[in-house]
Amino acid sequence: MLAENDVQTVLAAAVARGGEWSEIYAESRSSADVELNNRRVDKVTDATSVGVGIRVVRGAFQSYAYTNRLSRESLLETARTAAAAMNGRVATAVTYSSGGTRSHRKPMRAGQDDLGVQASRVDVARIAEAAAWEQGCHIRQVRISYGEVSQRVFIANSAGAVADMERTRTRLVARVLAESDGLVQTALEAPGFGGGVNALAGYDPATVGREAASRATRLLDSVSPPAGNMIVVLSAGGGGAFLHEACGHGLEADSFVKRTSVYSGSRGMAVAPTQVTLVDDPGLEGGWASYAVDDESTPSARTVLIERGTQVGQLSDRISAALLRLPASSGNGRRQSYAHAPQPRMSNLLMAPGDADPAEIIKDVKRGLFAAGLSGGEVNPTTGDFVFAVTEAYLIEDGFLTKRVRGASLAGNGPSALASIDAVGNDFAVKQGVCGKDGQWVPVAFGTPTLRIAGMTVGGRV
Amino acid sequence: MTARRNSPVHDGNLLALCQSVIEAAGLGHEDVEAYAVHEVKTSVWARDGAPAAVTSSDSWGLAVRVMSGGRLGFMSTSDLSSKGALSALARARHNAALADSRQGHLLPEAQPVPAFPSIAADGLARTSLEKKLELVLDLEHHATTLDPRARRVKAAAYADRLCHTVIASTKGISAEYFRTDCVMSVTTLASTKDETQTGFGVVMGRDIPDLDLVRCAHESVRRATRLLGGRRPSTRRVPVVFDPHVTAQLLTVLSPALAANGASRHRWLFGRRVGEAVAAARVSLVDDARLLDGPGARPFDDEGVPTQRTPIITDGVLTSFLHSTRTASLAGGTQRSTGSASRHGYGSVPEVAASNLFFHGETTPLDRLMALAGGGLYVQELWGVQSGTSVVTGEFSVAVTGVRIAADGSFGEPVRATTVSSTLPAMLESIVALSDDRRFLADGHAGTTLLLGPMTVAGT
Repeated sequence: MLAENDVQTVLAAAVARGGEWSEIYAESRSSADVELNNRRVDKVTDATSVGVGIRVVRGAFQSYAYTNRLSRESLLETARTAAAAMNGRVATAVTYSSGGTRSHRKPMRAGQDDLGVQASRVDVARIAEAAAWEQGCHIRQVRISYGEVSQRVFIANSAGAVADMERTRTRLVARVLAESDGLVQTALEAPGFGGGVNALAGYDPATVGREAASRATRLLDSVSPPAGNMIVVLSAGGGGAFLHEACGHGLEADSFVKRTSVYSGSRGMAVAPTQVTLVDDPGLEGGWASYAVDDESTPSARTVLIERGTQVGQLSDRISAALLRLPASSGNGRRQSYAHAPQPRMSNLLMAPGDADPAEIIKDVKRGLFAAGLSGGEVNPTTGDFVFAVTEAYLIEDGFLTKRVRGASLAGNGPSALASIDAVGNDFAVKQGVCGKDGQWVPVAFGTPTLRIAGMTVGGRV
Repeated sequence: MTARRNSPVHDGNLLALCQSVIEAAGLGHEDVEAYAVHEVKTSVWARDGAPAAVTSSDSWGLAVRVMSGGRLGFMSTSDLSSKGALSALARARHNAALADSRQGHLLPEAQPVPAFPSIAADGLARTSLEKKLELVLDLEHHATTLDPRARRVKAAAYADRLCHTVIASTKGISAEYFRTDCVMSVTTLASTKDETQTGFGVVMGRDIPDLDLVRCAHESVRRATRLLGGRRPSTRRVPVVFDPHVTAQLLTVLSPALAANGASRHRWLFGRRVGEAVAAARVSLVDDARLLDGPGARPFDDEGVPTQRTPIITDGVLTSFLHSTRTASLAGGTQRSTGSASRHGYGSVPEVAASNLFFHGETTPLDRLMALAGGGLYVQELWGVQSGTSVVTGEFSVAVTGVRIAADGSFGEPVRATTVSSTLPAMLESIVALSDDRRFLADGHAGTTLLLGPMTVAGT
């Protein structure tokens, strides 16, 4: 993508006005999207973009400049723009490791991008759509989106680290609307995959359409939830959004640097019951959120965050690791694209299964809510207060699932909810999503067993 | 038609590039549109009395849309060479061949663009980085010296954008405009020995003199300190006041339900109700891209159709949806585009979106409105809005932080970790009063203090 001489010249120009180290991140991205709407191919779109981000760091201060013009002159101008912000800055005492790997050449599976492949993407979307329409007479609208993004990335820094990689991700999204007697319900299924259209070889695209359509239909026979504090059981996989919001963001090291994490100062302390062990693992095979090298060239690694209830680790990038005097970045420096500076982010957040039978976990509850699926949520990392939406839930009465519930939200405080997990199932499932921290969207995944939480606020109506 | 202004950006010649794509397309059976943008952006952050980060950018993009026999093909690229532009045209044509023919895939005919004052401030491009750093440090200083409980910020930020937008088509459209935007914001941390709360303040404008950083600092400190000592309330139904930021969030989730679109999702919530009362009789809702003090101001939309003022709800009655060329065609009859086509950057196909969306109607002074809400809840922040609302079913169930309102309308105890639930139609119908404090916030949605009828507040 870039000539070797240009890379060295640009890195030197970037540190010329007082930077301690500089970094160049060059990205070539192509994406293909197909959208089907009510049995017709509505849109077929393509996008390609190239761009370069140049970063200069001095102490805790970073300057980032980016452009999508890749001429030598434009890159040097961008480097000079980044360097200019260093003018007169006083460094704090921070020690940076070189970071990264000298030459990492282990491309992940890359998508193909020729005209024939585009047609096969349309075929995948048609299979998903047909399965949705087969789910009964209440289906009124089906929209299927197929989205595939391929990136080629080159990273080099002035400390000598170099990495290049290719990665492709695909997401198949089904949005289904069902209607009966004037009541409308919707459901969304959105599995993600590492790799392009060929990576779906072991997956039946009909699954996504069928699951969305059957859930939308089931929700037609549901009631609004009760409101108030109650015991909540989160299904395997479904609890991932809870851990991501309630716990994961507070363990990203930039919030420790800013002293805004509810987990600041809790390292080595018990933050959860001993059944809870939580790790972040970017190396999950073929995963939607997996990567071999992070976006500042550090090889990925499995990081234990909570071990048997004790907080033992956090997720860092180069800057936060140096500012917290950690030995090195944990390999969680991620960015949405060349137009964004990296920041510490979760990848695949996984909670180890426990030993409880999921059926027994429900059986012990006199009155509560079983959340079969969760959609997005949000957390205030400073207070730990979180909320997320429940896609499908059931009331638990005397140990049995009774009424189906729609439109519930769950709210609480992260540390409190984590501490009140009182049962961990022996099952496990992984779900995929995207996380939009500080306006940067990156793929994430969560894997959890069935979890029971002693008390959360269920948002409903009285 | 041309709406050229003095450029704050050295931009090469984007209009000539778009016109070259149209010339290359020739006069065949298809319609072709080329859309290009050039953006120069700067962002600056400060924390702990020092600059924390600077981001600068200079980026370009081109998108080609091909409509051929009702089939839509699209391609975007950052390669603005002649070869890159022609390659985008070829790929868009190929994609059109893969799509099915759909009603409404049309390009708009060229129309005269009414005179539109400049929305670009020439001075912004000349403002030095050092000046921007000074501003953001000044903002942080103000935010950390107003109240002894607020001595730190999470981040103080300044951001600006200089943008040149160009569009040309085989229908005869050939137009461009320039705009500038700048914004300052701060998230202040207020602490006691037991807890820390955050408060957000923001100001925006076209040029730096528009930015009142003292107001921004006061707003963030007031909002952070007000939440200290919050508890989970008991579950009950009470009147609710939305502060201006929350009202703007409500409009953000409501506006897709008021925008017609090809997928017809809107039909389920409001689509069959044009001419019916959908809100309290005292409430009107308007979208107006020609309102210059709104961040969504622009002379024409993202497919070249002149913008206009569109009344959506008038005295409680639903009067119109927002339309693009496609959705107007699908609606049939005399419906025309309302100039509401919008792209999320050059890489996306135009959809329908609001520009400057705001409530208006008879207003109530803020102190009077608060007195009317005695015993209720003042909602200061919504959490989980995107996941907790549905413009299809109308469900609205989100977490809130806020403050109880005493019987006399003054602020009482703060509350946290609670939720409010209702439906979007029920909320519109239950608006009791709107205040006279309208201001535009992010995304072109205006904040106004609103008093709504009782909602379920869930807690212990």
